[in-house]
Amino acid sequence: MKYNVTFMPDNQVVEVEKGTSLIKAASQAGIFIKSSCGGKGTCGACKVVVLEGEAQTDRTGNLTPEQLSRGVRLGCRTFVEDNLTVEVPPESRLQDHQVLLENNSSLLRESSKDLLSHYGFHPLARKVQVSCSEPSLTDNASDWARLSLEIKRTLQSEKPIKIPLSVMQTLPEALRKGNWNLSVTLSDLESEYTVIRVEPANSKPAFGLAIDIGTTTVVVYLVNLDNGEVIDKQGAYNKQAHFGDDVISRIVYAVESEESLKEMQNAVVESLNALIGDILKRQNLESSDLATAVISANTTMAQLFLGIDPRYIRLEPYIPTANWIPSVPAKEIGLNILPEGLIHTFPSVASYVGGDIVSGTLATDIANSEEIVLFIDIGTNGEIVLGNQDWLVSCACSAGPCFEGGGILFGMRAMPGAIERVVIDPETLDVSLKVIGRVPPVGICGSGLVDCLAKLREAGVIDRAGNFQMGHPSQSDRLRATDEDKEFVLSWAHQSGGDKDVVITENDVKNLIRAKGAIYAGIRSLLQTVAMEMEMIDRIIIGGGFGNYLNVHESVRIGLLPDLPHDKFEFFGNSSVKGAHLALLSRKAWKEAEELGRKMTYIELSIGNTFMDEFVSALFLPHTDLTLFPSIKE
Amino acid sequence: MAVALIKERYQNSVSELTIGATPEEGGTRTSVIKVGGDGTLPFLHFEGEMKNRPVIAMEVTDVPPVWSETLNSYYKDVYNDPVAWAKKCVEEYKADLLYVKLIGANPEGENRSPEECAKVVKDILGAVGVPLIVSGCEDPEKDNEVIAAVAEAGAGENLLIGVVEQDNYKSITAAAMVHRHSVIARSPLDINICKQLNILISEMGLPLDRIAIDPMIGGLGYGIEYAYSIMERARLGALANDKMLSMPMICTVGYEANRAKEANASEEEFPGWGDVKERAILWETMTATALLQAGASILLMRNPDAVRLVKENIDDMMVSNE
Repeated sequence: MKYNVTFMPDNQVVEVEKGTSLIKAASQAGIFIKSSCGGKGTCGACKVVVLEGEAQTDRTGNLTPEQLSRGVRLGCRTFVEDNLTVEVPPESRLQDHQVLLENNSSLLRESSKDLLSHYGFHPLARKVQVSCSEPSLTDNASDWARLSLEIKRTLQSEKPIKIPLSVMQTLPEALRKGNWNLSVTLSDLESEYTVIRVEPANSKPAFGLAIDIGTTTVVVYLVNLDNGEVIDKQGAYNKQAHFGDDVISRIVYAVESEESLKEMQNAVVESLNALIGDILKRQNLESSDLATAVISANTTMAQLFLGIDPRYIRLEPYIPTANWIPSVPAKEIGLNILPEGLIHTFPSVASYVGGDIVSGTLATDIANSEEIVLFIDIGTNGEIVLGNQDWLVSCACSAGPCFEGGGILFGMRAMPGAIERVVIDPETLDVSLKVIGRVPPVGICGSGLVDCLAKLREAGVIDRAGNFQMGHPSQSDRLRATDEDKEFVLSWAHQSGGDKDVVITENDVKNLIRAKGAIYAGIRSLLQTVAMEMEMIDRIIIGGGFGNYLNVHESVRIGLLPDLPHDKFEFFGNSSVKGAHLALLSRKAWKEAEELGRKMTYIELSIGNTFMDEFVSALFLPHTDLTLFPSIKE
Repeated sequence: MAVALIKERYQNSVSELTIGATPEEGGTRTSVIKVGGDGTLPFLHFEGEMKNRPVIAMEVTDVPPVWSETLNSYYKDVYNDPVAWAKKCVEEYKADLLYVKLIGANPEGENRSPEECAKVVKDILGAVGVPLIVSGCEDPEKDNEVIAAVAEAGAGENLLIGVVEQDNYKSITAAAMVHRHSVIARSPLDINICKQLNILISEMGLPLDRIAIDPMIGGLGYGIEYAYSIMERARLGALANDKMLSMPMICTVGYEANRAKEANASEEEFPGWGDVKERAILWETMTATALLQAGASILLMRNPDAVRLVKENIDDMMVSNE
C-alpha cells in the first residue's frame, strides 16, 4: 500500500510505502531532517507538523500536550498511514548553508582551463567529406587511386595516406552507394594519414574517447572531434579491483598464469566497453562513430590494458616494458570503437610514474610555466611532479585508494549519494552532511573523507594518532564500539539511502592517515631531493577523483597538503582524463606528451631512509613536527 | 701550538624529572632522585652541563619471577617477599631507587587484583626510603586498572609509573595527573612515534617534565646499535630545542641483557665462552654502559654485580673532562 506525502513549504510530493517514517520519506523527497538520537525518539530534533491526514505515532518523547494538539510530531517515530501533508519547520532541517557557510573561501571548485591555448586544434582523427569523379571507360583509375587523390586534394597535404585491408574491402560498395560522395574517417598522425572508415556521405561528425584508466576507477569522456566539445562522460570502478586494491596485488594476480593476464586485460576492457556502451546508447551513436581513443593510465594499468606482462614492474629494479608505446588499432585490444581506429597510450616516465601523470602534467601546463609548480595527483598511487619550464622531477608515494573510496568501509566514488561535506558539532556530535545529488547518503567520497577526518579531530572523537576516544563527553550514540571496530555514525539508517547506518570506523581513519601521510611525505622527500623549501613553491595544483570540491582548509588541517597560503592552491579534478582530452584534440599536444615523458626526472623514493622517515612522522594529525603547520592552533 | 677543541653550543637542555617526594613535599621518601637536565651530549662536560648523574633502579617483582640461574643465586631467598627483596636491593646493593614490576597482575598468570598490587607497592613504600618506579604486567587493559590503583595508593609519592603507549595512554596518564606522578612513555625504537606519544600525553595536560622516554632498547648483541642510534637522535633533537624529545630516557637493561643467550648458556655448552656467571654480569654491564653513552638517564637493572660495575663507570664518567 502506498501513500503520497506532501512536504511543506517545499511542496515536494513523494510516494512511499505504508509504515515509512516521516524522516525517511522526507529524505526521499530531498529534505533532510535533523536527528541526533538515531531514530529512538529521544532527542526531539526532528519535529515536524502533520497538517493533513492520519499518521501513526508510537513515541512522542518530550513533546508538550500543547505541541501535540497543534500536530507537532517526532519525524522519526511517526509513520505514514494515509496521504499526508507535513510541514518541516526550518529548525528541524539540515541545510546546505549550515554546511557551506563555514570556510566557504577555502572550498576550491574544479578549475577550468583553455586546454588548447598552446597547441591549436588538430585532432588525432577526423572526418572529411570527399567527392570523387565517377569513373568511366576513359577515366579508369581504381577506386583507391581516385579516393586517395581526392583526400590529398581536400586536405591539401602531401602526407602519405594508408588504408588497411579491412577498410579497403568496404570501399567499392561505399563509393557506389554514396554515389561517389564519401565521408572518410582518418587517423591523423604527424607522419601519415590512415583511412579507418569509409561510408556514404553523411553529416555525422567523428567522435573520440578520452579515457583515464585508474587503478580504482575508470573514466570515459566522449568528445566531438569536429569542435572538441565533451558531449558526455561517465565513470565506474575498474573491474580489476576484484583482483586486488593496488597495482602490486594486480601484478601478483596477473602473472599467476597465462589466463590470468588475459583475465586482467578483459576486466579493464570490459569496464571500458560497458561505459562506452552506456554512452553510445545515451547519445544514440554506434561504436563505429568512435574514431580513436587516447588512454591515460599508470604504467601497470597501461601494460595490463595492452596485455603486456607487468611482472618486472614489481621486482627490483622495477623496470617497465616500455615507456613509449606505439599506437595500435582498437581491434587488437577489443575496445569497442571503430576496429581500425587507433588507440594512443600516453608514454610513462618510470614504473611508478605513468602516463596518467604525463597526461596531468600536459593538462596542467607545468612545462610552460615560469613559476614553480607542485602538481599532486591524489589517486591510488599518489604521484607528485615538481618543476617549471626548465626542469621537472617526479615521484610516486603509493598512498592507496582511500581518497577514491577504496579501503574505507563506506567509501565510494564521487557520485550521487556520496557524502562530500561533513560538519560535526563538537559538543553534541550531531552531524550535518552535504550529499552529492541531494539524495539520502549511501557512502562517503574523497572530499567527504578529508572533511570527516578534520571534523572528527576537531570534535575530539579521535586523537592526533587517529585513536577513537570512546569516553567523549557528549555521550553521543553516534560513537560506538562494535565487535570488529570502533565507529562513528555519519548518517542513521533511517536517513540513509541504504538500510544501514553510514559510519566511519577507526580502521578507516588509520587508513586515511596512512594515505595522507604518504602524500605529504612524498612532497617533503621530493623537495629535499632538489634542496628546496616548501615556501619556494609558487602554485600547487591538485588532481584526483575528489567530489566537486576540494576543501583546502581541511586538507591542510589533516596534514594532507602543506600549510601554505590558500591562494596558491588550485583544484584541477581528474587531470589524467583532461590530458587525454587535450591530446585527442591536438597532435602537437600529443607530441609534447612524448617529449614530457622523456624530460621528467624520476626520483625513486624507496632508495634511502628519507621517505620512510618522513612517512612515519606524517602519521599524525597534522604532523609530528607541529612547526610545519603554523596556521593550525588548537 | 695547543690544539683548540671545537665546542658545540646547544640551544636547549634535557628536561629535569624528579622521582619521589620527601615529607616536606607531601610524600614519605627519605631521598628524591633528579635525572635529566643535561645541556650536552653524554659526559661531554667541556661542552655543557651534565646536571644530574644517571641512576640505577633495581628491579623487584611482586611474585617470584622466572629469571636466570645467575640471578636466582642473588635473590632466591627473597623472591617470595617483595618487601624483603626491596630492602635487600637498597641496603645491601645500594640501589638509587627501585623498579617494581607487578607481573603478578597478569591475567594469564596469577591475575592479582589491582588492590593486591597496590598493597605490594604500599608495603614497599613503607619499608624503604628510596623513590619508586612502578610498572604493570604488559597487559594493557589490566595495567590500566592496576596502575590507576597504584597511583591512588601512592598519591603524593611522586612515583614514575608506566607504561603508556600510543594505543593506550589515556588511563595511566590521567591517573598520573590526578595523583601527581610521572609517566614512562614507551615507543618501539621510533623517534617519530616517541614524539607523537609525547604530544598526545602533553595535550592531555601532563607537563613535559613529568615524562620519561622508554625507547625500547635491544640488549648487547641483540640490536643495541638501533637503540643507540635512536637514543642519540632523541638526545640531539632535545639539544636542538625539540621540546617533544626533551625528556630523560629510561632503559630496560636488566630485562634485555638477561634474556640474551650469552647471559644464560652454560660453560659446558660453550666452553670457549667462559664462566656463565661472570658472563651474565658483563653482558648486563656492557649493555648498560653503552646506553649511558647514548644518553640513558635511568637504567633498570637486575644483577647486583653489574649494578656495582656500572656505578663505578658512572662515577668515572662524571669526572669533569673540561
